Amino acid sequence: MSAVLVEESAPVRAPLHDRRARAVLALARFEARRLLLSVPVVIAFVAYVAWIVWRTRDSWDGHPVLQDADRATQSMPMLVGLAVLLGAARAVVRSERHGTEHHFSVLVLRPWHRMAGHALSVVPAALLTAVCVAGQFGWEALKAGAVGHGSPAELAVGPLTVLAFGALGVLVGRLTMAAFAAPLLVVVLLFVFVLGTGPSGASGLSWLAPVVATTGPDPLPSDLLGRPAAWHALYLAGAALSLALLAVAVAGGRTAAVRAGLVLSLAATVTGGILQAGGATPSKELTAARERASVHPELTCAEHGGSRYCAFPEWAPRTGTWAGVVDRVQAVAGGSAHDRPLVVRQRIDARYGPGTDAAIPALTGAGQVTVGTAWGGNRVPEFSSAVAAVLVAGSEAAGSELCDGRMVTVMWLSLSWQDDPMGALRRVRLDDSVTGSAIVLSPTDPLSMTEGQTDVVRRLLENPPAGTGARVTEHWAELTAPGVTTARVAELLGVPGPKKADSCED
Amino acid sequence: MTPTVSASGLGLSYGRTRALDDVSLRLTPGVTGLLGPNGAGKTTLLRVLATAVPADRGAFTVLGHDPGTSRGRQEVRRRLGYLPQTPGFHPDFTAFEFVDYVAILKELADRRERHREVRRVLAEVDLGDVRGRRIKKLSGGMRQRVALAAALVGDPGFLVLDEPTVGLDPEQRMRFRELIAGAGEGRTVLLSTHQTEDVAMLCHRVIVMAAGTVCFDGTPAELTARAAGRVWSSTEKDPGAKAGWRTGTGSFRNVGDPPPGAEPAEPTLEDGYLLALDDAGTEVAA
Repeated sequence: MSAVLVEESAPVRAPLHDRRARAVLALARFEARRLLLSVPVVIAFVAYVAWIVWRTRDSWDGHPVLQDADRATQSMPMLVGLAVLLGAARAVVRSERHGTEHHFSVLVLRPWHRMAGHALSVVPAALLTAVCVAGQFGWEALKAGAVGHGSPAELAVGPLTVLAFGALGVLVGRLTMAAFAAPLLVVVLLFVFVLGTGPSGASGLSWLAPVVATTGPDPLPSDLLGRPAAWHALYLAGAALSLALLAVAVAGGRTAAVRAGLVLSLAATVTGGILQAGGATPSKELTAARERASVHPELTCAEHGGSRYCAFPEWAPRTGTWAGVVDRVQAVAGGSAHDRPLVVRQRIDARYGPGTDAAIPALTGAGQVTVGTAWGGNRVPEFSSAVAAVLVAGSEAAGSELCDGRMVTVMWLSLSWQDDPMGALRRVRLDDSVTGSAIVLSPTDPLSMTEGQTDVVRRLLENPPAGTGARVTEHWAELTAPGVTTARVAELLGVPGPKKADSCED
Repeated sequence: MTPTVSASGLGLSYGRTRALDDVSLRLTPGVTGLLGPNGAGKTTLLRVLATAVPADRGAFTVLGHDPGTSRGRQEVRRRLGYLPQTPGFHPDFTAFEFVDYVAILKELADRRERHREVRRVLAEVDLGDVRGRRIKKLSGGMRQRVALAAALVGDPGFLVLDEPTVGLDPEQRMRFRELIAGAGEGRTVLLSTHQTEDVAMLCHRVIVMAAGTVCFDGTPAELTARAAGRVWSSTEKDPGAKAGWRTGTGSFRNVGDPPPGAEPAEPTLEDGYLLALDDAGTEVAA
């Protein structure tokens, strides 16, 4: 045998650990690029962005409450997460499927280094989701009517969900090494988390789901939400890290650092899980605060045009908008109602937490009007109806009991100045109709219109006779007198009256 | 100064089967051919030297590094290029992506430097023009060149090629031989093959294996010389020959111990190979 001696050819390179870490990062970049360009992930992101644009253009009618808007960013990332899960699992089983494992096993990066690369490859998808979440939330926050405060922990849920689903895909791929496992899992998760109704958040266990996005019709002040958002974010982050490190450990990476990381991440998951479950039940302090906010709220008040507007501090910027509506209603009113000082008070029923739709009783005090925490869209004619009812009947409670011709006056005051009076009439009625009797929504107890009143109001709004405004001012006392008939009101305002006499039984 | 590969007493058993039995060898720069029948232990030896499987017995070093230790094994892998017998491919990868992926697994982390290296090896195997084409759209010969490029990336000092010309048509095989010859310039190449022509054309040294042992280790000329005086022609197949076959001229070519008065023929490498196997107790037939 010959024995020619040769110089070692390997060049001097960076220190071993540094070189390996950089190679793992290079692998993560390579896999991330393929993942982000894979068909399911591209489709998911396109659908996600399209959904953001479609939804956010006119969400909350341009008046978002940011402590609800943050939770609205959480559901769609689950779809992205499922696509990332699929892509990550496919990437992990790729070598096994295509028979490159026996080759790659003799290359420098060990299987668990590759697994670390796969686990890291889902991070850019999570970051891209974070960009989408920031875009969606930023869009809401920049709307002129936005109030409130978003929670970073709530905003982190979307990206963390993608991260956790991606890490789950890596682990499932590594454990099964089968191409069919991830699609099966995706189908199951799709039914459980995406197509299902979703957890309510009422029980501690329901917080084990990635997204617990309970929202009700009336947003609550952020300090009354009582959502264990920070613990949930810790739980999700811990779960994502645990799944990723578990995949690395299963692939052979049982170094002290991996084991320590796994212990810490599991501890974070368990801690977050336990504390979020505990946080699902309102504390005594929170219950008391919700009770106070419902019964004797601490409101910030401001004067606008002689009326007083009291709002929860987060809604203080909105008092000017409410004053604009009150001014428009009073502008078409007559008599003392034209410049009667009102007290507009923001009221909520927070006793049952977010996600509930509790009725708020009408105020009995004279000149007091309730406004809710939601605004825009139907809430505007609902509020203007309440203002008009107070101006005509004296109080909210009295307004909710109107069943005579004064109801025509109320609806004229409420709707005649709106951009689309007939549209507003339709929207403010519970059944979205403009004929027949109907319930008229308001922030507290609803009002009611008979068929005859509806006919008269419709005639007034569709083709108001010339000088209707002047007639309202001129005949204000009679138009707002208790017991005035609908026929008489119609006559005073110059439109045909109803065929039947008023009846509160309609 | 260390030899490229130095192995002594390598052994590996699968159950009761001794796939490798006391194999010792030293490899030097240039192309070394590894010949042997199926089951001789060629692929097992290559897998051991490529650190894919550990040997039960014996030891070896590659460029001075002992793969018996974890650190040494990693150092060997940093200096190794391996083309397996049936290389797998990721069909949705382009040729560039596949070699790039392998380069990353070889710890070529710097993106710009790595891409330059990938372009270099793809050009070296004459695939520069199709580097953006998906592997599933490449011919068998092109895929094999992709695998060779993957083995060459990172400029390894020791290249292990396991039957790289199997399944290639004559033109592709000739092209591949050129590439292997080029790869053997300045580095140590161990080429396992069934083709004695490959060895004759490419190798400065040849190792013949049979039943897990090395039964010949020398130059191709020395292997050919083993058949000197042991090849003869006859009009009928000589029953005393170890192997014999009818040639294109109609006469029989016999290999073995010629009878008195036999008409000697010019020996070839293949004759030497057959006789080496016969001497090792392996049944040869042609």
